[in-house]
Amino acid sequence: MAISVADTRHLFFTGKGGVGKTSLSCATGLALADAGRRVLIVSTDPASNLDEVLGVALGQTPTAIPGASGLFALNIDPEAAAHDYRERMVAPYRGILPAAAIASMEEQFSGACTVEIAAFDEFSKLLGEPAATAQFDHVIFDTAPTGHTLRLLTLPSAWSEFIDSATGGASCLGPLAGLEKQKALYAATVARLADPSETTVVLVSRPDVSALREAERTREELAALGVSNLQLALNGVLAVASTDDAIAAAMMARGADALAGMPVGLAGLPVSSTPLLALGTVGLHALRLMANPERAGSRVETVEVDTALPARLSRLVDALAQAGRGVILTMGKGGVGKTTVAAAIAVALARRGHAVQLSTTDPAAHVAEAIGASVPGLHVGRIDPAAEVAAYQAEVLAKAAPNLDANGLAMLEEDLRSPCTEEIAVFRAFARAVDAGQEGFVVLDTAPTGHTILLLDAAEAYHREVSRTQGEMPEAVRQLLPRLRDPALTRVLIVTLAEATPVHEAERLQADLGRAGIAPFAWVINQSLLASGTRHPLLRERGAAEVPFIRRVADQLSPRCALVPWLPEAPVGVAGLAQLTQ
Amino acid sequence: MKTLEIYDPAMCCSTGVCGVEVDPVLVAFNADLQWLAGQGVQVSRHNLSQEPQAFAANPAVLKELEAGMERLPLTLVDGRVVGTGVYLSRAQLAQKLGLAPVAAPVAPGSFPVQVGSGCCTPDSGCC
Repeated sequence: MAISVADTRHLFFTGKGGVGKTSLSCATGLALADAGRRVLIVSTDPASNLDEVLGVALGQTPTAIPGASGLFALNIDPEAAAHDYRERMVAPYRGILPAAAIASMEEQFSGACTVEIAAFDEFSKLLGEPAATAQFDHVIFDTAPTGHTLRLLTLPSAWSEFIDSATGGASCLGPLAGLEKQKALYAATVARLADPSETTVVLVSRPDVSALREAERTREELAALGVSNLQLALNGVLAVASTDDAIAAAMMARGADALAGMPVGLAGLPVSSTPLLALGTVGLHALRLMANPERAGSRVETVEVDTALPARLSRLVDALAQAGRGVILTMGKGGVGKTTVAAAIAVALARRGHAVQLSTTDPAAHVAEAIGASVPGLHVGRIDPAAEVAAYQAEVLAKAAPNLDANGLAMLEEDLRSPCTEEIAVFRAFARAVDAGQEGFVVLDTAPTGHTILLLDAAEAYHREVSRTQGEMPEAVRQLLPRLRDPALTRVLIVTLAEATPVHEAERLQADLGRAGIAPFAWVINQSLLASGTRHPLLRERGAAEVPFIRRVADQLSPRCALVPWLPEAPVGVAGLAQLTQ
Repeated sequence: MKTLEIYDPAMCCSTGVCGVEVDPVLVAFNADLQWLAGQGVQVSRHNLSQEPQAFAANPAVLKELEAGMERLPLTLVDGRVVGTGVYLSRAQLAQKLGLAPVAAPVAPGSFPVQVGSGCCTPDSGCC
């Protein structure tokens, strides 16, 4: 079967960025609507392209989709939701409290967490209040990429545990305190997520090792939250009878290997499989073909492409090597290969005789694994959130314990269990890693966009804070933002794929960095079929479809650009990584 | 029974653990309030960003706010303002509340604070 079939009222699609959550949720919703059901599709992704896929401008209330009777969609814009939430909290006190007090309240509600909570609040209304969606048979959530999704999903239970167990009263509820009265709604939301008769969660993955590993992580975390009604949707499976094209053969073999080695937890789930299609997934026609691929037939047009391709990654390494030291950050949404690109650059720099420290803050990363054998001059480290949190908690307790009685100590320990602690601990580790860039090269593959921006936002806030209070700030933290902004020291590389959603997301990332005063050094377009030299008709057609995105990145978005071909050998280990920079 | 009210500046949490560096003043102050509650003092604490109604409902607090945000945090004993712009030490609090002198103050002395500093700053992303 090409798409998942679920009879539950609620369906969630989750997975790494670019695996096709939006396409699959729309194809599923459309198939249900075509079968006579009334369906609402909801996006909570701040980088949603639901409008684009369905071909309609959407808002925060259900909009009917022309050409699909019974199908409706809406976008939850987290920033607009946060603005509304802030207004609800602050407006009653205008004219009662002095302007300065109002301004300081508003500032307090401008953080990233308020955005997150406000979005969850909207999401709870749809899921926790049956009346809100009573006119629909199914509500489908095209949820945000994994890290974000998990935060959204784990937040309520984290907080309800926190509310239940907090003994001190004045604990760190943060902006959520204003929502405590909504506890019942959140509890209902969590209950619905975990009820297998009401909710199906579809884990979307490509047939590749890292996407499957990510899906398994999500499965484990959802299982820990009591969410058990799960399905696996494999998207973009290449299945052709036989081929003499090296790229197509390698792609099929790699997909088959990945599926054969699928984590046991995933292998036990109901599976659907959607073939790799030559056509894009924008518009109702393409979505219907996705659900019924046999209707597409085998007609594939032969396409010839005539466009100047950007330089290879080795040229970019030359430019990076010139400085002799510095911080290189690869950024981009999950699934674009920023860990691979970071590791390949680190290996290439080390092979040119430079001292290189490669660190990862991506919780799903396996850099050490990707390096395999060691390279002289290269050190690989991982910023492990759990280890950082433990070290930070120990440090704080050691520092504070002498001044606290037993009761005070118990309260501090409780507070150190709050979700804030991990953000702070990881941030400090990030600052330390950047600090090492004074000496040699430091290559960091950062976590997905939301998290990255959180870190940079944090850097900004801390920077302002530090310049005011000059407290006990570690020097590495004090220097962080000026270092990130210094083009002579820090080089940000934006990694993307030559496809609609990844380029759109990368563009948003570049704009976000711009707001923090950071300009990328270059863009890297990864896994290009066009540059791969494939002769397979379906893959050539997909390669030709990359052209407008390559042109947009090379000609408009990037100061300099490198193109990495889709590689027949998996980019794992030193030899595998060296392919990228040959 | 004596009452002690604290009016904090707008901040994410009043315990001091969610900044880039734990604020020892807030940690100690929090412990001091617990200790005072154990001594039979009725303690209440209000954060401007979470309980603005408490600020709006108290004319003495409003008057201080109008004088400037740097008056926060406010310390009130039995409804009377006894401290502005600082977190008082355990010894100072005990004295203002007419309790027996504290043998060895476990907390550091009193510290001036900046409005919005200490805990999570708004954009710190921590909460």
